[in-house]
Amino acid sequence: MATQSIAFHDRVDRALDNRSLQTALGRATDRFVTNRANALALVDDFDDLRARGRAIRASALAQLDDVLVRLSERIEARGGQVFWAADGNAARRYIVDLARTRAVRTIVKSKSMASEEIHLNDALEAAAFTVVETDLGEYIIQLAGETPSHIIAPCIHKTREEISTLFQDHLGMPATDDIPTMTRTARGALRQQFLQADMGISGVNFGVADAGAVVVVENEGNARLTTTAPRIHVAVMGIERVCERLEDLGVLLQLLARSATGQKLSVYTSILSGPRRADEPDGPDEFHLILLDNGRSQIIGGDYAEALLCIRCGACLNACPVYQSIGGHAYGGVYSGPIGAILTPLLQPELRDVHKLPQASSLCGACQSACPVKIAIPDMLLRLRADAVAAGRTDAIERIAMAGWSQAMRSPTLYRVGGKLASLGTRLLAREGRIGWLPPPLDQWTHQRDFPPFAPRSFTELWAERQRRAAGDGR
Amino acid sequence: MSDAREAMLGRIRQGLARNREFLAHEALAAPHAPPPFVHPEHDADLADLFATELRKLAAHAHLCADHDAARATLRDILGAAGVHLALTWALPALAFPGLDDDLAAIGVERRDVAIAPTAAERAAELRALEPAAACISGVDALIAESATIVVLGGAGRPRLASLLAPLYIAIARRDQVVRGLGQAIAQLQQRAAPDLFAERSSLTFITGPSRTADIEMTLALGVHGPRDVHVIIYG
Repeated sequence: MATQSIAFHDRVDRALDNRSLQTALGRATDRFVTNRANALALVDDFDDLRARGRAIRASALAQLDDVLVRLSERIEARGGQVFWAADGNAARRYIVDLARTRAVRTIVKSKSMASEEIHLNDALEAAAFTVVETDLGEYIIQLAGETPSHIIAPCIHKTREEISTLFQDHLGMPATDDIPTMTRTARGALRQQFLQADMGISGVNFGVADAGAVVVVENEGNARLTTTAPRIHVAVMGIERVCERLEDLGVLLQLLARSATGQKLSVYTSILSGPRRADEPDGPDEFHLILLDNGRSQIIGGDYAEALLCIRCGACLNACPVYQSIGGHAYGGVYSGPIGAILTPLLQPELRDVHKLPQASSLCGACQSACPVKIAIPDMLLRLRADAVAAGRTDAIERIAMAGWSQAMRSPTLYRVGGKLASLGTRLLAREGRIGWLPPPLDQWTHQRDFPPFAPRSFTELWAERQRRAAGDGR
Repeated sequence: MSDAREAMLGRIRQGLARNREFLAHEALAAPHAPPPFVHPEHDADLADLFATELRKLAAHAHLCADHDAARATLRDILGAAGVHLALTWALPALAFPGLDDDLAAIGVERRDVAIAPTAAERAAELRALEPAAACISGVDALIAESATIVVLGGAGRPRLASLLAPLYIAIARRDQVVRGLGQAIAQLQQRAAPDLFAERSSLTFITGPSRTADIEMTLALGVHGPRDVHVIIYG
C-alpha cells in the first residue's frame, strides 16, 4: 500500500471519499482539541511556558554540536554505545548488524517516528528478524500492513469493526466489537513477545545532554516494557531532539502532554541513562543510542531551521482544518499535518509530490497558535510555496492563472471588468451561498472544496457609494 | 565510526555558521528555568490535592493516619484483589517495616526481581514473574498537581515492580509530596548531586493507570502496564 506512489491530488480524493475516515477524523481531532483547551485553561500562564519551551529548544539547537558531544560522552561513560548515523542506510545497517552479532531473534518496538522515517522495520524483516510493534495503535497498523495516520493516534482511520476482523484473523479472537476485550487480546499477545524478545527498539522524545539520558514518553507501558525486558535496548533519536539539562524537562514535558492529549503529564515518562548498573535488578544489559542525521544537519543551516524546534505533539495536526478533512495518509510521508508539510519535503524529498504539501494549507494560522514552541508554520509554508515557484515546480494552469492575475493587478480596467464577470459568473453557479462546481480547468479547485461566490458589489463600488453618501450628509 | 561523528559535527557546524545567531537570539528570548509548579497555587493540603488529582485518573488514593493504618490498607487491597504473588522492591529499599509479616499472614508470596544477563535465563525469569498479580514499590516523590508517582531505579528497586502486574501499589510518606514537576526534579537533583544517574539507569514518572485510546478514541485502561493503581500515603 505504497501511498507514496500515488499523486497527492488522488490521495486527497481518496481521503475525502472515505466516509468512515471522515467520521473518525472529526471525532478524534475534536476530542484532542477540546482536551487540550481544557488542560491549558488550568495552567497559570501557558504562554509563559511556551516561551520557555521555545527558548530551551532554540538554545539546544544553537549549540547542537556541543550538546550532542556532551550527550554522547555521558552515555558512553555510563557504558552505553553511541552510533552517529549520517542517514537511514547507516542506521539500518548498524541495527541489523547488531541484531545479527547478538543472535537476536525477536525484536519488540515502541513507537518511533524516526525509525518509520528510515523504514527500519523493512530492513529488519528483510534480514529475517521478527519485528513486533507494541503500541496498540501501531500494532493494529502493522497487522493491517499500513502506515500510521496521526502522530499520537496512529490508527484513528480504522473502525472498531475493522480492528475486530484483524484480531480475529491474526490472533484468533472470538467475534466481538467490545473495545476492552480487544485491548485485553492485544495485551495477551504482546506480553508473550515482550517475555521472549532479545532486543527492544524505542524512539526518543528528548535527549538530555548533561544527564546523559534519553526520555521516552507514552501512555500504555509498552515503551517501558520495550526498554526494560529485552537484554538490548536500541534508542533511535533524530539529532535535533535534545535539550541541555534535566530541569528543562520541567517545561518540555508539561508542554508535550498538554499539547498532545490534554493530559497534565503522560502516564509514563521513562528517563533512561545507559544500560543497567551492576547492582540493578533489571533493565537492559546493553544500551545503544542512534543519533540520526538523515538531512537534519542540512536543515539547520537552511531557511527552515525553526522547524527543528518541533517536539512532535501533534497539536498542529488537530488544529488544522485541512488535516481534519484529509487525515495523515494523504500527506504521503511519516510526518503529516502542517508541520509535516514542512518536514516531509525536507526529510523525505524523494517522495512523490512533496513540493505540493505546502499547498495543503489555508494559512489560517491555527497551527502556529496551537504550537507549544510557537513555530511560525504558516510563514514557512508560504516560503516553501515560493521556493516551488522559483524552482519551476508549478502546473501549467497555475502559471496561466497567475499570469492572468498579474496582468489584472496591473490594469485597473481589466481588474474591474474581470471582477464584474467573476461576480456575475460565480453568483450564477452558487447554490445556497456555495459553489460546488466550476467549469474546467477551474474544476480542479471545486473537485475537492467549495468556492465562495464573489460579493455582488465590489469593495471599490461600496467605497465610492460611501464617499458619495458622506459627501451628501456633510452638505 | 569516529569519522562519521566528525563528519556529522562538521555538517552541523557548517549549518550553524549561518543560523546560530538566529537560534541564540531565540534562546535568550525567555528564561529557561522551569516553574516549580504550573497550576495556580491554593491552600489545599498537598496530599489531599494529590488524592483528588489521582482519583480523576481512575486510580485510588488512600490517605492513612499512620504506619499501622497503611499496613491495614495494604492488606485490604491485596486481599480484595485475591493476590497470591507480588513483585516488590527489596525490603531495605521499601523501608516499610512489617510488610513481610503482613504478606505472609494473608498468604501472598513476595518475590524480589533479579534478571540474569543471559538470554535463556532472562526469558525464564521473566516468565516466572509474569503471573504476579501485584507489584509494590516505594516512591521518591509524589507530584500533587498532576498526581504523578516519581520512582528512581537503583539497587533493590526493580523497574518491573511498578510495571509488570495488573495491580500496582505505591507506598509513600506524606512528607514526600511536592506541588509540581519543576520542584520534584530540583529536589531529586539536589538529593543525588552531582550525578543523579551515577548509580542508576532509570528515573520514571508514573501518572495514573496504563491507558490507550487507540481504538475509536475510546479509553481503555491497563493495556500493557497496571490497570489498577493505588497510592498509599501515610504519616
